[in-house]
Amino acid sequence: MRKIFPAEELARDSRFIRQSNEQRMGDPRGARIAGGNAGDALAKLTPGLPNGPDRARALMHGIFVGEIQALEGAGRTCWDFELGDEAPLALKLDMARQCWDEARHCEISVVLAEHMGTELGEYAENALLYEAACNPDPVLRLTGVNRALEGLAIDVFNTMKEFGNMAGDPVLEFCEDWMLADEVTHVKMGSDWLRRLTENDKDRLDKALEFQKVVDRLFSFNGFRGEEDDSPIQLTRRFRELAGFTDEEIDEIADMSRDARSEAIT
Amino acid sequence: MVQVSVKPESFEMVLYDAAVIGEVVAEVAERLGVDEAITLNIDETSPLGRSKILSYDPIDLWVDGGALENTQRPRNFGQARSRDTIGRLLLRILDRRSGRFDDAPADDELDLSQFAAWDVHNVGRLERIGLGGQKKRRLYQFRNRHGFTDTADAAFEELWGSSELSWAEIERISVGCRP
Amino acid sequence: MTDTKRPREPFAPWDRRSLPGLFDVDETAERIGYYKWVEIKLFEALGGWVATVPELDVKLRLGTHCYHHAWHAELFDKRLPELREMQTERLTVPPNDHMVEFFESMTEPEAAHLTIEKLVGVYRVLIPHKIAAYTYHRNGTSEITDMPTIRILDFILQDEFNDWREGEMLIQSMIESPEELERAMSHQTKLEKIMLAAGGIAGPGSIGDPYVEIVEKN
Ligand SMILES: [Fe+2]
Ligand SMILES: [Fe+2]
Repeated sequence: MRKIFPAEELARDSRFIRQSNEQRMGDPRGARIAGGNAGDALAKLTPGLPNGPDRARALMHGIFVGEIQALEGAGRTCWDFELGDEAPLALKLDMARQCWDEARHCEISVVLAEHMGTELGEYAENALLYEAACNPDPVLRLTGVNRALEGLAIDVFNTMKEFGNMAGDPVLEFCEDWMLADEVTHVKMGSDWLRRLTENDKDRLDKALEFQKVVDRLFSFNGFRGEEDDSPIQLTRRFRELAGFTDEEIDEIADMSRDARSEAIT
Repeated sequence: MVQVSVKPESFEMVLYDAAVIGEVVAEVAERLGVDEAITLNIDETSPLGRSKILSYDPIDLWVDGGALENTQRPRNFGQARSRDTIGRLLLRILDRRSGRFDDAPADDELDLSQFAAWDVHNVGRLERIGLGGQKKRRLYQFRNRHGFTDTADAAFEELWGSSELSWAEIERISVGCRP
Repeated sequence: MTDTKRPREPFAPWDRRSLPGLFDVDETAERIGYYKWVEIKLFEALGGWVATVPELDVKLRLGTHCYHHAWHAELFDKRLPELREMQTERLTVPPNDHMVEFFESMTEPEAAHLTIEKLVGVYRVLIPHKIAAYTYHRNGTSEITDMPTIRILDFILQDEFNDWREGEMLIQSMIESPEELERAMSHQTKLEKIMLAAGGIAGPGSIGDPYVEIVEKN
């Protein structure tokens, strides 16, 4: 088995159809993301929207394939690096733990998809998350995946939990609550390892934070995820703090989202 | 063959073929016993899934491009999705023409619960003649509008399984199960 | 009123644990180092394979089992300093080169159509050998002096049995033709030969030696 396994080769059964980043970003109607669309008039994702339930369904499918890729990415971090200074045993143990958590998240997502009337593979799959997990530096990998993407997952799960609460959907709220707890743990792992492995390496720290910004920006376009009342996905300060984000870092993501939003409007 | 005119005739943003769309609309119309001319306006710039009836007579329909899209292959035409979208619109037209819906509010006055209930009844009927289905998707939408309760689920089954309800019956079932 | 001064035996009548054990401290540490090395190699491989396996149920099981073996590695890692080995990496080694070769062969399959081979290597070869070595150790070590190791091995064996059963059932569910059966058997044979040369996961003596040595009397 090779080290570094390319995203194009991720193994899937015939139900899953892959959409490349070029296809996604090249959609002239605006790139689709997590059940919404860059071209949509902004609105917080709630059951009260006419298409609220269908968007939640699409978002849930996006979460499901994201969970598969998070599982695959964490698994590859166990395998891709030689044990040692580059990847200490404790880091690999955390990644193995994350494998188990993500496997459970896949199981939860399958049950939720069934609950929401979604078939596995009903929507196209984009491999952006796994691609971030292919970075050859484990620190960048953990920063891009655990801090940027799983940070987004915190925001998404909290939004979905509120969605379930508003809709009176006990299944959705229960599942998101549990996944949210795990995700906070994973983001914290990212924060802790970033700090530990770059303690004496300012250059590597800068590179990792830059990589995180690149990934964060991908999900901030048009203010998709932000703090405004009509941001479809709400930035979650409280849980991000628990996960090791500083106030300044959260402010930065909120600003990034506001910038992206004003760029889209002008 | 039902005469269908699709607007626009060619597409820039999505990979749709007006002739193929026309065939699918005609097929659905024939299955439902509609034999008059149909106009279908498509907003290809929108990937959302909205649809509405611009005119009941003559039949003039409007949809977001996304309402005809294959969700597995964005920008590509989706037959099943299209059958569902067009089928629901045409059934609404047939319902309103039947005399059973004379007391129903105008389309833009229907609230989300009423819409959801009527849609369940429409899609249930479509499924029985082999045009689409996605029963669980409809159940989820219905529950979002009527509550996640056994009462709501029983109401859903009644709407889904009945052959030709009147507006008064749909309204009674819908109101009767809301929390 | 309870007579608090009345003497009792330190070992209750039903407590039949005995003091002697097969391994001294150094031997125990050495074996645990081998076990830890094996657990690490196994969890790394399971993690790596997740992305390469298209069968959804297998993918999720591998992800779950990956953590089980990582946890075993962690338990062994924590036991080593208690056995006077402060540089735990020093003993985290394979028992011999055959064991290295075994893992190279076991982790060779990568292609999406080789799930049977991947599963056979782990669940029909490696895990049965782990169960054997751990059971031998668990039953042979001193029940009093080395109880911490026994406790660890009991937890681990519980995982191993469960994971073995799940893996074996996945294999049975995937073998649908004589050709697939042949693939499974020949891959198993290939790996078993290397394991035979290695002498088990802790090298020769992994499960003791049951043969009796006859001493010539006249
Ligand atoms: Fe997750
Ligand atoms: Fe996660």
